[in-house]
Amino acid sequence: METFTNRHCTPRYRLLDESQILRIHHSVLRILDEIGVRINHKEAIDLLVSHGGKVKDGDIVQIPSFLVEEAIASAPSNLIIYNRRKEPVMELGGRRIYFGTGTDLIKTIDLKTREIRDTKADDVIASTIISDAMPNIDFIGSYGLPKDIKPGLHYVRCFQLEVENSIKPVFFTAESKKDLRIILDMAEVIAGDMDELSRYPFLINYSEPVSPLTHSKEALEKLIYCARNRIPINYTPALLSGSTGPVTLAGALSVAVAEALSGLVIHQLVNKGAPIISGVAATSMDMLHATPSYTSPGFRLTHSAYADLFHYYNLPIWGTAGCSDAQFPDLQVGAEYSFTIFNAALDGTNLIHDCGYMGQGFIAAPEMIIFANEIIDMVKQYMKGFDIDEEHIALDVIKNVGPGGHFMQEKHTLDFFMKEHWRPAFFNRENLPNWIKKGKKTINEKLIEEALNILKTHKPEPVSKENKAELDKIWGDLTRMNRKS
Amino acid sequence: MGLLEDIYNDVVGGKVDDAGKGVERALDSGIEAGDILKKSLTSAMDLVGEKFGEGEMFIPQVVWSAKAMQAGMDLLKPHFSVSQQSDRAKIIIGTTKGDLHDIGKNLVAIMLEGAGFEVFDLGVDVEPETFVEKALRENGDIIALSSLLTTTMLSMKDVVTLTKEKGLSSTKVVIGGAPVDMAFCKEIGADAYGIDAMDAVRKVRDLLE
Repeated sequence: METFTNRHCTPRYRLLDESQILRIHHSVLRILDEIGVRINHKEAIDLLVSHGGKVKDGDIVQIPSFLVEEAIASAPSNLIIYNRRKEPVMELGGRRIYFGTGTDLIKTIDLKTREIRDTKADDVIASTIISDAMPNIDFIGSYGLPKDIKPGLHYVRCFQLEVENSIKPVFFTAESKKDLRIILDMAEVIAGDMDELSRYPFLINYSEPVSPLTHSKEALEKLIYCARNRIPINYTPALLSGSTGPVTLAGALSVAVAEALSGLVIHQLVNKGAPIISGVAATSMDMLHATPSYTSPGFRLTHSAYADLFHYYNLPIWGTAGCSDAQFPDLQVGAEYSFTIFNAALDGTNLIHDCGYMGQGFIAAPEMIIFANEIIDMVKQYMKGFDIDEEHIALDVIKNVGPGGHFMQEKHTLDFFMKEHWRPAFFNRENLPNWIKKGKKTINEKLIEEALNILKTHKPEPVSKENKAELDKIWGDLTRMNRKS
Repeated sequence: MGLLEDIYNDVVGGKVDDAGKGVERALDSGIEAGDILKKSLTSAMDLVGEKFGEGEMFIPQVVWSAKAMQAGMDLLKPHFSVSQQSDRAKIIIGTTKGDLHDIGKNLVAIMLEGAGFEVFDLGVDVEPETFVEKALRENGDIIALSSLLTTTMLSMKDVVTLTKEKGLSSTKVVIGGAPVDMAFCKEIGADAYGIDAMDAVRKVRDLLE
């Protein structure tokens, strides 16, 4: 009998050891306790003070360490997210990885003309339909921010278009509590009522504190409203290392985590056990172009580090991957998508957003969602590892074939080729003569063809007629009110 | 029609035992061996070839379809008349002299067998004389040459020259392998060049028409 042998191997990676995790964690606690955070929200300040926080200079609140550690303990370690049909589809916790698009890209590369133009509402529909068709896209962001819809209304419209064009969970942004409430009205139409919605949430709000160490009134209103109603919220800072945060990675990491955890404290004080996804983005400021890099090694190192920290906290973790700084789908996009998706998978972050992003968070190209799907597929196969046992070592098969034979005729090959090896859908593995014969297509051309094909043929499950009428009524009322005011 | 259809499906599905049993049942029920071959075995392999070309089937699945086809073929053989027997084209295949790489050649051999041809695989590092002798002895219709190295592909020309010298005027030479292309095929006077295993089957069929 063989003992102590693990019959399955999988890639494992962590950046910080336990002493390094504690070193960062203690620095975070000191930032919150000694420096404090600016809070532009009276109710949140009162709440913190009544639980032991100390006000300094009017709106800066110092948060004692025990409040932080209580919040880490009371927040749920595992969140179940459902689809529109109330079926569980994501279990955010542990090292389970789920991928989805991001939100709010203001420019879109037109699928047909290839022109970089303003994003339109139709683009949100298109990216939602494509995301719906992609097996490795688990949740849907608006991807684009439509310019043909009025500010103040566009988040509501995006949410409606996403819900109508996919049953997958929606990762959504809102401007303030005002439009958040309308979005939740729409979600209630689908779920039945607020209780059902918080029992079977198919949506996650995405809100951000402002770096360094500031919580805006709007962000806190959304945070508190979601906490009260037990609607999942992803409350995570987007710090720029070198401008809105320290230039050193350890410093940027500490500040960003302090921002995330102070949000967590307020959230848990409002409603213990309410669902929240935490984490940070500490992008690097490019000092030559004054732009944020979504893919720099520095950003990825802090991604790995905060992942280790939040795994230690045992909290559901937000992640960022499948994004590129390049303006057009070129070689850089391939390199950056692969690097970031592989990194996020190894980090084991749960809710990995921004797949299909380009141009440092400004540019959408719908076919890039399909490209991200392909890379995620490849990385997932790698993360599965392989079996090491008698059947997989296959000495009998090796003996049977012998030196100089071949394995193509073996039953063993037939039995295992699908499981052991990955097959791409778009990466080119043709031999040269066939590739020439088939028209020398690049992956870019194949992806655009596929995007157009999906838009023509893929029919997402629609919402019921009654629900559609109610959603339209909410939207109609909102636009009428807006015209009057 | 049910029996023939079952065999057809078993060959496509790579079910070796079932295909064999199906052929036995078909023979017992009095269906002509030639009909079983054409309507079930070869037509099934045509579909397999098509599916492989379209990326809907994978090599191991094609291999097992070919095995199922072969199992059926072995059972049919005793029932063929002499003329039916000699109807099957004979193909002599091997890797050229000096070359020990045979995965491409094996794949082509599997595909040719699957397509219903009688294949004589001479293995690797085969002398030009050996190809020609075998073709003479078996009355071979096609000599199929494979090589991976630019050094060993030159031996293909020797095979072509030798077939002419020995008066094998009706035996055609098909070549393939990574360093070979259409230009080289013309240069050495070979009859056809196959881009890959599927293409090799196509070219062999064209030559035999």
